[in-house]
Amino acid sequence: MAHDVSAGVPASASAPAGAAAGARAAEAVRGRGGGGRRGRDPGRPARRGRGHWTAWAFLAPIVIYLLAFYAYPLYRNLDLSLRHYTVRSFVQGNAPFSGLDNYRDVFADPAFGPALLHTLTFTVVSIAFQFAIGLALAVFFAQNFRLSATLRALFLVPWLLPLIVSASTWTWMLNSDSGIVNYALELMHVDPVNWLTSPDWALTSVIIANIWIGIPFNLVVLYSGLQAIPAEVYEAASIDGATSWQRFWRITFPLLRPVSAITLLLGLVYTLKVFDLIWIMTKGGPADASITFATWSYRFSFGSLLPEFGPGAAVGNLLIVMALFFGLLYIRFQRRQA
Amino acid sequence: MRYARHAKTALGLFFTAVMLFPVYWMINVSFTRDTDMRADPPHLFPLDGTLEGYRAVFDQQLPYLGTSLIVGLGTVILTLVLSAPAGFALAKLRPKGGGVLSFVLLIAQMIPGIIMAMGFYAIYLRLGVLNTIPGLILADSTIAVPFGVLIFTAFMSGIPDELINAAMIDGATRWRTFVSVILPVSRNAIVTVSLFAFLWAWSDFVFATTLDGGGDAQPITLGIYHYIGNNNQQWNAIMATAVIASIPATLLLILAQRYVAAGVTAGAVKD
Amino acid sequence: MTTTRGRLRAAAALVISACLLTGCSKGADTGDTGTGAAGGDYTIWDPYPQFDDSSDWVKLLTKCGTDAGVTVKRTGYDTTDLTNKALLAAQQGNSPDVLIVDNPVVSTLADAGVLTTTDELKVDTAAVEPNLLAAGQIGGKTYGIPIGANTLALYYNKKILDDAKVDPAAIKDWAGLTAALEKVKAAGKKGITFSAIGTEEGSFQFLPWFWGSGANLTQLDSPQGVASLELWNGWLKNGYAPNSVLNNTQTTSWQEFAAGDFAFSENGTWQLANAKKTGFEYGIIPIPSQAGGTAPAPTGGEFVTAPVQTETARYAVTEKLIGCLSSSDNALTTDTTLSYIAATEAVQQKQVAANPELTVWVQAVKAAKGRTSDDLGTKYPKISQPLWTAFQAALSGSASPADALKTAQTTAAAATK
Repeated sequence: MAHDVSAGVPASASAPAGAAAGARAAEAVRGRGGGGRRGRDPGRPARRGRGHWTAWAFLAPIVIYLLAFYAYPLYRNLDLSLRHYTVRSFVQGNAPFSGLDNYRDVFADPAFGPALLHTLTFTVVSIAFQFAIGLALAVFFAQNFRLSATLRALFLVPWLLPLIVSASTWTWMLNSDSGIVNYALELMHVDPVNWLTSPDWALTSVIIANIWIGIPFNLVVLYSGLQAIPAEVYEAASIDGATSWQRFWRITFPLLRPVSAITLLLGLVYTLKVFDLIWIMTKGGPADASITFATWSYRFSFGSLLPEFGPGAAVGNLLIVMALFFGLLYIRFQRRQA
Repeated sequence: MRYARHAKTALGLFFTAVMLFPVYWMINVSFTRDTDMRADPPHLFPLDGTLEGYRAVFDQQLPYLGTSLIVGLGTVILTLVLSAPAGFALAKLRPKGGGVLSFVLLIAQMIPGIIMAMGFYAIYLRLGVLNTIPGLILADSTIAVPFGVLIFTAFMSGIPDELINAAMIDGATRWRTFVSVILPVSRNAIVTVSLFAFLWAWSDFVFATTLDGGGDAQPITLGIYHYIGNNNQQWNAIMATAVIASIPATLLLILAQRYVAAGVTAGAVKD
Repeated sequence: MTTTRGRLRAAAALVISACLLTGCSKGADTGDTGTGAAGGDYTIWDPYPQFDDSSDWVKLLTKCGTDAGVTVKRTGYDTTDLTNKALLAAQQGNSPDVLIVDNPVVSTLADAGVLTTTDELKVDTAAVEPNLLAAGQIGGKTYGIPIGANTLALYYNKKILDDAKVDPAAIKDWAGLTAALEKVKAAGKKGITFSAIGTEEGSFQFLPWFWGSGANLTQLDSPQGVASLELWNGWLKNGYAPNSVLNNTQTTSWQEFAAGDFAFSENGTWQLANAKKTGFEYGIIPIPSQAGGTAPAPTGGEFVTAPVQTETARYAVTEKLIGCLSSSDNALTTDTTLSYIAATEAVQQKQVAANPELTVWVQAVKAAKGRTSDDLGTKYPKISQPLWTAFQAALSGSASPADALKTAQTTAAAATK
């Protein structure tokens, strides 16, 4: 059994050195042997030159799409962050270039420390729980029992709700005085908690709501990852007499590693960006107790009567840099694994 | 064995109930009268309920649902058209620079929606596609396309090369191979990507409000905003809209889920 | 190779045509709404998305357009969204002809050079109450005309006050109000609810107390300012006000009041219609100041403005449209629909004649004060944000009222330098 698992992983090492991690990460998702076979493919090198152009023909739509619709917003945001904007100069388009002033202001802002800390806490804790719960549920639902498909589908319902509704529902349930959660605590003779209005709890509350929203995504992706593990692997293991716990740690978990890596990375990207949930639930308050970079950026640009686009864009770019850092980390992880 | 299966179903029901409690709460609020909204202790069941919220929704919201459906389906099609060939190329044809493209796609996902929306606004205003359905479809697809490419690349690199080689030996072009060999085998990935694309488009608010805030054809997420006035919000109508809006999507989900399972057990991808 | 590309193109074309056949064509012919304003079309943007085409408001807009011989294209945006939209549209040279915006935004837009003055457009503002018009005036120029106004007062639950033996008419100052809250609490009911959320809405609700202490927005940490925050803080500490005020919008706080357990709610004119639906008897008193008498409450409500156009020939029609919207008869309809108090004395009298209940509100509006007045203009937003941060910090217990306001003053002073 162990051969099967390890055979899949080094196999991807035989991929051409030039192909960077994204493609490799992806191919590793089905790491159980596809890569190895590719290495043995005799016809491949001969077709390389012509295939190159065919490949780009396949990629042309997406490249045009990327250039047309991603490049401009990004450029614009960079430009916003490097100029000194007032409302007047925003409208008239003659804001003076101010170099890194906006970034300096943002770093010097007393909210910077808390925002950084909360962004990291929010992201790490959310993802850890979303992933753990999502994986547990995926494994649970993978055992085909009555209603399992329907119940699994129902788990996705939270996702269908517009965020403004689900976030408001959570606000409702966590209300200090008339919320159902505090009512339940009262019935259990526990002192009520000021979920959204106490600086000690606000961040926890938004994290709880965010975990809830993130579970469906993790469940779906991990579940389809589980489906990709061939049944024979498990059959072989059960002949060897492995317990279900052993099966999980020795087979499921290692085979799921590539899918897990992608799930975690995407989860990270999406969690870093979360702003509407926090905005609706706490506005980043009370007193910055639940402010994150995304919320902060939004507050600069849209949160008050007088928009401050410069610092808002600067914080937004810091967020992208942060995500980029994690993306590179992921690639290192992939390389090492390969 | 039988007992264990029933126990699992029971456990599954319990988990689902916990997960869906907030959804129940939303339904509860949708039936609650304004005066009982903040009752302390809260009303667990809408005993003195009202259908006011639903009446408002049926009178005003049905066209929005239609728009959302069209936008959702349009986004799915656009996403598939853009990302499936790209996934195939990256997974199987592996051109030089493909890795860079994958990385760019990864970064593209990281741009906060609001930044994208602001950029789109300026472009759309000049192109005159503000407040149109195609414009909204295009914008919504930016949430799903990078994700779609990632998923397609992942799934398609698991397809054995023999399958492709066999088709090529038979004289099929790469495009033909892609359409008649790769795509049918990737049903699982197609359903997954479609599902995500649809859901993201269905629940998108940022793009809708920025790019379609003034149109006649608005999606349901904006329909909700009609109950959020300047100083006053009609919560039962808001929640009722959300309930109604989630019904067709839930049905679709249950169907799609079955399909995902079927696609997998059909074993088309198995070596 | 060629076939590959050819088929790709064919596939793309297919998708586009499929899209055109289904719903996309529906979108295509509405594409011109909101963008540009060519020919006989005049665009109007307002912050009342709750009104659809069958509402009195939209009918009025259409009628005004017909009277002026043009077609009106109206779009209702969410109020916070409208400011951004207006700025972006102005940046792209695509402003609507008539823009109806929340009054504290007027000075910001005017400062950005987005709005025309009433002199340029020859809009007559003589009849408008000066305290209401002030929110739209900067440096001696006026940038719009108020469509109506609203403000804050205290709603009370008659039965709860009777049971607690409190006479609402006798509440004239802060001490009297706090004493009343104490009695209500002793009688087993809840005291007062308001909105102290960390947005402009919270500042709006805090200002009557802040101004009622005699404090001035240019000096947030003055002893008077601290006293006003200590008043709120004391209510929370003593359990006269719920902890949820920190997260309450004005709607949420109204719902708490409507549930029937609270004696008082600080809320606005717009809740009058809802007040009748609560099923209990209610009354309204003005917000008391610290030393006694009515505290100045901030004015709410929108201004009708005319954004700058490159084609100045359009102003003639725009002028007619604005004249139509602000004429007495139409203003009466609009203000009744919106549950606002009119901006001119003549219309106010008509409103009171039709509904005597409005007398308290008309008085409150007369005593009210614009947030951007006192020549604060665009400085106001930079003061308001530190202010709401301060009361959020104090009420949540992360800083004392004095410290919180001191920090706020430092921030505000740096920002308004």
